[in-house]
Amino acid sequence: MFSLLLQKELKNIITSPKFTATFLVCSVLILISVFVGINEYENAVAQYQANQEIARQDIAQATSWGRVRNLLHREPNPVQIFVSGVHFDVGRVSSISDYNDVKLSRSPNSDETLFAIFRVIDFAFIVQIVLSLFAILFTYDAINGEREQGTLKLAFANSVSRAQYLLAKFSGIWLGLIFPLLIPILLSLLLLLAFNVPLTTGDWMSIVTLIGLSILYITFFMVIGILVSAITRSSSLSFLLLLVIWIGGVLIIPRLGVMAAGQLVPVESVAQIEAKQEAFRKARWDQYSAELTNVWQEREAQMNGMTEDERRAFRDDNEWTWLEEDDASRKLVQADIITNNRRLLEEAQNRKKVQEQLAFIIARISPVASYQLAAMKIAGTDVELKSRYEESMRAYKDDFSEYIQQKEAEGGGHGGFNITFDSEQGLNIDFGRNDQTLDTSDMPQYQTPELSLSATLGASLFDFGFLGFVTVLAFGGSVFAFLRYDLR
Amino acid sequence: MQNTTIKAAPLLEAINLSKVYEDGVKALNALNVTVREGEIYAMLGGNGAGKTTTINIFLDFIQPTSGQALIHGVNANELPLEAKKHVAFVSENVQLYPNFTAMQNLDFFVRLGGKSNYKRGDYENALIRVGLQSDAFDKKLKDFSKGMRQKCGIAIAILKDAPAILLDEPTSGLDPKAGKEFTRLIAELRDEGKAILMSTHDIFRAKEIADFVGILNNGELVAEKTRAELEGVNLEDLYVEYMAGYMDEVAENGSSLANNLSEA
Amino acid sequence: MFKLIFLKELRDIIQSSRFTISFAVCSVLIILAFVMGAQNYLASKAQYDAAIQENRNQIAANTEWMMVEHSIMLPPQPLMTLVNGVSNDIGRNISMSGRGELRSENTRFNDEPIFAVFRFMDLEFIFGIILSLFAIIFAYDAINGEKNRGTLKLCFANPVSRAGYIGGKLAGSFVGLSVALLIPILIGCALLPVLGVQLSADEWLRLALILIAGIAYFGVFLAIAITISASTVKPSNAFLIGLVVWIFAVLIIPRTSVLISGRIVDVPNVDEITAQKNRYRSQLFDEDRPKMSNFQLPEGTEMEDAMGVFQSFMSDLSEARQEKVDIFNARLNEDYTNKKRQQERLALSLSRISPTSAFTLAATELAGTSLTLQNHFMDAAYTYQESYADFMNEKTGSNRSSGFRMVMITTDDTGEEPDPLDPDELPQFTFESQDVASASQAGMVDLSLLILFNLIFFGGAFRAFLNYDLR
Repeated sequence: MFSLLLQKELKNIITSPKFTATFLVCSVLILISVFVGINEYENAVAQYQANQEIARQDIAQATSWGRVRNLLHREPNPVQIFVSGVHFDVGRVSSISDYNDVKLSRSPNSDETLFAIFRVIDFAFIVQIVLSLFAILFTYDAINGEREQGTLKLAFANSVSRAQYLLAKFSGIWLGLIFPLLIPILLSLLLLLAFNVPLTTGDWMSIVTLIGLSILYITFFMVIGILVSAITRSSSLSFLLLLVIWIGGVLIIPRLGVMAAGQLVPVESVAQIEAKQEAFRKARWDQYSAELTNVWQEREAQMNGMTEDERRAFRDDNEWTWLEEDDASRKLVQADIITNNRRLLEEAQNRKKVQEQLAFIIARISPVASYQLAAMKIAGTDVELKSRYEESMRAYKDDFSEYIQQKEAEGGGHGGFNITFDSEQGLNIDFGRNDQTLDTSDMPQYQTPELSLSATLGASLFDFGFLGFVTVLAFGGSVFAFLRYDLR
Repeated sequence: MQNTTIKAAPLLEAINLSKVYEDGVKALNALNVTVREGEIYAMLGGNGAGKTTTINIFLDFIQPTSGQALIHGVNANELPLEAKKHVAFVSENVQLYPNFTAMQNLDFFVRLGGKSNYKRGDYENALIRVGLQSDAFDKKLKDFSKGMRQKCGIAIAILKDAPAILLDEPTSGLDPKAGKEFTRLIAELRDEGKAILMSTHDIFRAKEIADFVGILNNGELVAEKTRAELEGVNLEDLYVEYMAGYMDEVAENGSSLANNLSEA
Repeated sequence: MFKLIFLKELRDIIQSSRFTISFAVCSVLIILAFVMGAQNYLASKAQYDAAIQENRNQIAANTEWMMVEHSIMLPPQPLMTLVNGVSNDIGRNISMSGRGELRSENTRFNDEPIFAVFRFMDLEFIFGIILSLFAIIFAYDAINGEKNRGTLKLCFANPVSRAGYIGGKLAGSFVGLSVALLIPILIGCALLPVLGVQLSADEWLRLALILIAGIAYFGVFLAIAITISASTVKPSNAFLIGLVVWIFAVLIIPRTSVLISGRIVDVPNVDEITAQKNRYRSQLFDEDRPKMSNFQLPEGTEMEDAMGVFQSFMSDLSEARQEKVDIFNARLNEDYTNKKRQQERLALSLSRISPTSAFTLAATELAGTSLTLQNHFMDAAYTYQESYADFMNEKTGSNRSSGFRMVMITTDDTGEEPDPLDPDELPQFTFESQDVASASQAGMVDLSLLILFNLIFFGGAFRAFLNYDLR
């Protein structure tokens, strides 16, 4: 009986024009998106490699340790072919130096604003927007359409149980929609192989998980479609209702959630934080120069009553100590500034985290948000992408500064140039030994932050579970509704 | 009565009307039918006999391959807009706009027919005349039964007050009482002097009211009888005699119905 | 006759539950877009004001103009939040220097990636994606639905011409639906001042043009849906075809055109260019090093003047370097900008096959958030740079410094505290959107394209219906 019903359902779907249309549109969309994604990824990798090379050359050309600048770049990640997430919106390069804090800037979209006008369409976007729409199209008249045709009565004139009927109906539609989807999906995986996209086992696992998540998401919309179809009498009404649900769930609620959170938890802009940092920096250096003036006045005072020769001797004796003292207090200033910068940033970060958490909680009223958040987590292009990189770059920056300072100390002296201004000798500029070639072989290397598969899966587990939960809930609802359905 | 009307001008006239579809199917073959003032002409025939094609040609929904369809002497396919001023139409399954009330539907279609000076009272009279209860006047059509919708359809035709009326299977699917009322209305309209061309499966009702009965088979008029000629004739026998093809078709339909049942 | 069908069409639309539900949803969405746009604007404005204030405080803490780190910001504008365009993707801050290249930094999405996750809901999104879908939902069964109900036959049993019928139908649905859209649009517009967003006359004009473009775009999809409906028998098939057309117009064509133009026109890597510029700059500095090392004070220079002499020496050197750098950069930039423009032009022209792109471009052009916003902001910044340089020159005596700065710490304490700076003395940076005339000129191409699309598909609907099988 079940297989008979299932066969009828499949036959009904496969022979319908919407099956053909869905199959063609989905195939075109998925393949184009993956093709575009691979293209974008390859461009990003080429750019990344070129930039690495540029940074290497720049370091190689530096002639004094003080002039070594390092640029760190965000490494493209092949799973972004499927879920670009915030990749195009987040900066991709940060300079590493003593003077500036780590800051990712130059997002791909800001470099190529054309891409910002016509946004990237990735696999996750297609699943989220288009396939959910098709899932509705396949199910909106599942029950009430059969009633309108009169076939429901005819079917239940036989000894068919309602639960069995609904299950067969659901399975038939599910197979009828998922199978045509799997074909372009598998083809797109072949496309990855054909273009030699370097995927690790972990990446493959992520992609497979992502496909599983997408199927769960489509199933959710199918179940919602059946549910609405089983609680309404006419298929035109259920279609309208489902469209409203779709628009609300897919397009409106997630955005509303974020905007509401933006209103509830205001966050300072980066410009504002930077201005605060700058103000502190200024104040601290002013304090430093005042201190320095005092120190020199004290030193001057010690020399009171000395003859010119005594003074010179005293100065020569103390010069190294003084230099070290001054240097130490200069370093203290820098350390203070960095500490303050980081404190300000951290405060802003924490506030941002609160905002994000709130936004995502509100957005999750719609399971669509769950899908997107989980997909981005799996792909590693989630909203944390930026802070994750900035944190690891900060850690690297400390190593790097330490290394440079150590090298400078070894090399005897500071980088840059030294200007002395003396009443006797006038003005002198000393560039030190500038023509040396630097051995950077033991320079610390930056490691891009790797997310382990278990970490990404763990982070996406909640959304995965939530999506599964609401799907089961909706399915239960549709069984309940259908058991009480007026078959006339 | 026939003696007085025989001189009346023909209001609906099919002259050598033929229709061959692009796929080569012959729907009509040199059909000649004339309906005069105060006459009912019933076309009998099975599915695909050409009844609806004839009506469609009169309404210019399709062009004839050859021959002419004249309404009030105007060629319906050459001057369709002029011709359609003189004809009203009631379809097999009147549906109208489901979101409109009966009144709104009436108002739209009657105005479309060129009558714009009616008042609400005229609409009400027409609806009462066709037998609709007054509480239904302002109900939306989607809540109407088939019979009620059919009544609205005939009310529209009455209000248009055209000299000729085309009826496409007007009584199919109606219960006997509604069918009877419908027949009575048509007879009344004939008596008011309308020329009525109707297609029908319903041989008994046709015999009851028609002044002429034409039997079509495969696009050809195989027999035409006047009321006088039909007196005493068992119409059913006559029908079956000319309708070998139709019976075959019934057999086919029956078997496909059986298939449906077994599939379900 | 036309009038009768027109009025019937209006009534049919208004009395249908499909209209009621969709109208409610559209109204909520449109009003929401206005409210959220307003809130977003106010929030950005607060952020902007706070940042400006912080920048001023920071300047006021200085005692020397030479030490000032000034930065200018792209002020948020109401139209930017109503039609986002690229405004969230371009850097909003530029740290000012008296000379040299300026770089804009801190894009909204980079600063707050959370907004990039789901993006904003602006008018461009509502019209471009949602209302176009609703146009199809409204009209996919305009013709074949009437046929299925038998009303088409009944209508044509009367002396009704096909042209009159389809004309009334098109006009009725267009007028009915766009008037329906106008209600929430007007409410939304009226809400702007209530929520505290003041628009200038100029901005109202732009907004009106954007909304006209939106309604014209809606009309295109309506006409497309009616054309499809007049070319198919089953409404469900008409809806499917309409959906496929929608997916292509909204999702596929715009993006694919970018892909294709990227393939055809090769634009050099930005980072490569930046690196070339940096290398050239440091190469020039290396070349100047011997000159600096060999610097000698001219004979008989007084000690007090020494510092000034040295600084002007350094400034001259850096001025000379800067000139060379400017020429070098200009050459690199020109090549890059040309290629990029070429790529953009190609992509935009290709994408205009889709009415959605035409609408997006018209709306962003009119709102001042099109691709030109970036250039426009940079142009304003460079204009400002000149007055800033003049100001600094006047205040510090050094010609457009930033070449070299030196602060002398003396051991003789005069006991005087230097006065803090007054940030008001700085020239003000003002950013004016492109004037309405040139913006609407740029937007007019796409607006006329939309109207052309309307004519084409209205014509298409006519043609299809004249051949429609009424039976």
